[in-house]
Amino acid sequence: MRMITVPRDGVPVTTAADIARDPSMGRRFSVKTEVVVVGSGAGGATVAYELAKAGRKVVVLESGRYFPSANFTEHLGDTMTEVYREQGSQFNSTADVLFVEGECVGGSTVIGACVMQRPPDSLLQRWATELGLGNLAPDAIGPLFDEVGAEQYVHLNEAHEINTTAHKVIQGCEKMGFSWKPVARNVRQCALTGHCLAGCPSDRKMSSLVTHLPWATAYGARLFADTHVQRVLMRAGRATGVEAIVRDPLTGAQMAEMRVDAEVVVVAGGAIQTPVLLQRSQVPDISGQIGRNMAVQPFVQVLAQYDEELFGFRGALVGVEIDEFLESDGYMFFSALAEPEQLMIQGEQGAGPDHIRFMKQYKHLAGLNAFAIDEGRGQVSWEGDAATGRKVISWNPSRTEFEKLKRGASLAARVFFAAGAKRVYIPSFQQLQADSVFELDATMDQVSYGLKGMYSLRINSFSPHGTCRMGNDRFQSVANARGEVHDVKGLFLADASLIPEPMPSAPHWTVQALAKQVARNILDSASGLFLNGKA
Amino acid sequence: MTRTTTPTPGAARHAAAPVASLSRRRFLRTTLIAGAGVAALAGAGFAWLRRSPVDSLPPGEGIRYLTASEYHLFQHATAVLLPVQGTPLTPLSQVPVVQHIDHMIGLLPGHLRKQVGMGLTLFDNAAVVSGWHGRRFVDLETADAVQYFDDWSHGNTIQKALATLVKRFVYVAYWRDPATWGPVEFDGPVSEKWGLAYLGNAPLPDQQAVSQEAVQ
Repeated sequence: MRMITVPRDGVPVTTAADIARDPSMGRRFSVKTEVVVVGSGAGGATVAYELAKAGRKVVVLESGRYFPSANFTEHLGDTMTEVYREQGSQFNSTADVLFVEGECVGGSTVIGACVMQRPPDSLLQRWATELGLGNLAPDAIGPLFDEVGAEQYVHLNEAHEINTTAHKVIQGCEKMGFSWKPVARNVRQCALTGHCLAGCPSDRKMSSLVTHLPWATAYGARLFADTHVQRVLMRAGRATGVEAIVRDPLTGAQMAEMRVDAEVVVVAGGAIQTPVLLQRSQVPDISGQIGRNMAVQPFVQVLAQYDEELFGFRGALVGVEIDEFLESDGYMFFSALAEPEQLMIQGEQGAGPDHIRFMKQYKHLAGLNAFAIDEGRGQVSWEGDAATGRKVISWNPSRTEFEKLKRGASLAARVFFAAGAKRVYIPSFQQLQADSVFELDATMDQVSYGLKGMYSLRINSFSPHGTCRMGNDRFQSVANARGEVHDVKGLFLADASLIPEPMPSAPHWTVQALAKQVARNILDSASGLFLNGKA
Repeated sequence: MTRTTTPTPGAARHAAAPVASLSRRRFLRTTLIAGAGVAALAGAGFAWLRRSPVDSLPPGEGIRYLTASEYHLFQHATAVLLPVQGTPLTPLSQVPVVQHIDHMIGLLPGHLRKQVGMGLTLFDNAAVVSGWHGRRFVDLETADAVQYFDDWSHGNTIQKALATLVKRFVYVAYWRDPATWGPVEFDGPVSEKWGLAYLGNAPLPDQQAVSQEAVQ
């Protein structure tokens, strides 16, 4: 019997610096394996763990750097530079909607707020019956959610994990008769630092950095950081590996060219990077859907000011959610208040004395993020040739989406007023606030759609999905129900790009459950995928 | 690890994002260029209006990336946007805001740096005609300068974007400095201060029950 030992801390990773130090690897090298996984976030790490545990030879390639937890400073500015994609400035093409994403070993799980949500069973059932995706039916995928939940220490926030910002949300909901509940989070022994978005230096957050990746490597998986996959290699309708460039994370200089020959390729770069890689690789796109149908789960942050001191930035970052409108209207609301620097980026600030008054009230503020389900009209594309082209994210709100977001902001404001707020700050590019619920509608009316919704509401996205949607019809979808790309044998996807339609839930948990399902589909089809076809 | 007090590339790109949006839309880019041109022409036509006493002053010591006019614009904007004197907030003498902005500007990629420069020129010169102030932004009295920001934050897309650009640079440069956190009672990093135990990697799922028992 083989003894598996997980290291106390850290993950064995080969970095650009290691490659530069090792003359035997040279400027061009190749690796042979059974499975190559592109991306080490929620989906990639889960697949890597499942396949390595089953005895498969696995190589994981991550474009971001390896940033051990001990290096986190709890200073958001530092973290954004080190581990956020494009240093925290991945914007849409009009640069007014921010798409926040991790780019490091562990991906976005490292910088997430630990929120874990299961999609409503009614939605999963609808996907099963209307889209013919029986694998997503609650009784089919439910056990995988449970498995992930147990692995990730997912639990409903306990009383001590609900901070003052969240208490204001609870008060407001109770007065208005709205349903609310503690948020489920993947964290063990949360120390309530409030610095989730800057990484967790004491490893309480159950990111892939401290779970599936060390577990996968304990079972023999090899992990490379600083490795940018350029294209998926294919021959005769079958994936055969990938080509990548290893870059110095500090200078961007090319250190080596890498080729991985593999019998199975799993792309798990997330809903933005995965379609771009498929496009660069010229993967057959008979449906024309690669990169399309992007749902962004847009959200705006409403701030409220109270008479009493709240120190709403202390404690667990996300405490409670309002689930009153989740199934009826697709709204999600999460309590949270950002640190000062993030607040400057996220919200419109008044000029001069207004700004001073606002920041003097910082400890009196509470925040509520209002997410709305969107129409899935976004698009990600790679423009130009493989070497010099660029990624373009196209999404601005339609009028309907804009009005929906406005209504979400208005509901959030009402909750705060019901809890006694003296002032509510409207999340628009023009400085607007309401000092009572009676002013609210007139104030909201001042937020106009304008030119394509640009520079109107302040919108961000944490959770795009659906850009390589799963489906049975190869003319309407990119991958089949097993996660395998139509018409390319051995090329699997395992991230939020697979999600078939816009959904009103944070996708992290769904991605991990889907990734487990994809991994088991691969193992079930071992005889047709691997030379050593033992299941 | 040592905490960084100087702005990072991320902060710089965030601050510059509004002007990037303008340049990415062709008609807006055209407007931006034309707007800058009109402002420049207006300035040339009314040279007596455009002259500013600060034009002859050099940029501050240690400034590497900002031009003299940009430096003076941000100096004025900082004083206008952050009137902290007489308040409990950290005095500007203790936070090198414009030096931080200079650093941020130096981190921008070339094309974005150029667009930021155009945007700042437009913002400064447009005050001559916008709102009929009759003088550049750098010469506006404090109350007029605040009004200029407020008007532009309610203006058209270009005006909103440029007002946001200047405000973001100034506010991010100020508030990311840990020296500013004390007065608003933001705690900053706490793990080390609290002596939090490091938990390390999670045990394998089939060992978690054993591990949990050991913890208890």
